[in-house]
Amino acid sequence: MSGATTAAYLARRAAQKERVRILYRRALKDTLNWAVHRHLFYQDASDLREKFEANRHVEDLDTIDKLVAAGEATYDKWRHPDPYIVPWAPGGSKFTRNPVPPSGIEIVYDYGRENND
Amino acid sequence: MALRAAVLRHIQVPVQTLTATGSKPLPRWSLGASLRLFSSHDDHLTKEEVIDRVLDVVKSFPKVDPSKVTPDVHFQKDLGLDSLDNVEIVMALEEEFKLEIPDKEADNIDSCNLAIEYIYNHPMAG
Repeated sequence: MSGATTAAYLARRAAQKERVRILYRRALKDTLNWAVHRHLFYQDASDLREKFEANRHVEDLDTIDKLVAAGEATYDKWRHPDPYIVPWAPGGSKFTRNPVPPSGIEIVYDYGRENND
Repeated sequence: MALRAAVLRHIQVPVQTLTATGSKPLPRWSLGASLRLFSSHDDHLTKEEVIDRVLDVVKSFPKVDPSKVTPDVHFQKDLGLDSLDNVEIVMALEEEFKLEIPDKEADNIDSCNLAIEYIYNHPMAG
């Protein structure tokens, strides 16, 4: 138990909590990638939540660090090779597909009218 | 012959010399959020729509009491949720609005207010 509630302890706990939240978020998205059908996803999401809840009351900082590292290793092992990414986001199918044209360019709507009128 | 030419000249529709940009200037919309006329994404959501949809998503969360949900509830303080529940709500909002929120910013979304602000200001919110 490192000294009651010093600033360093709290800062480390806060950093760990943030790591846990980001890990949970990525693991949940990954679960959605693997289990596309909704009923399967809900079951797998509940299982994931149970795993996180089982370690909820751990107090020792080092144990927490080890658990988070183990969780991240498991996440890396189970990552989907072809995750769903929203089309316009980096890695999606529409990313930089139609980039904004450079600013000096205009379209001249003359419908093929020629100048020898 | 000269009379005919004179009559024709009188009847002829005067030719407008067109400017370099071609046709007449298109009507500019003075209201609304977007002036990007040629983009395929002119239909930004109105704030009421965003608020309605966000509240629907939060209300249909199983651990939330629907009667307590207002546009400025804090997920952890007012609704008594957990930080992991917060993550789940943000994921549900991402799915609802077809957004991709970066991890750091998703961590900061703590209340309905912030969620509505973020989604309303996001250019690709569907």
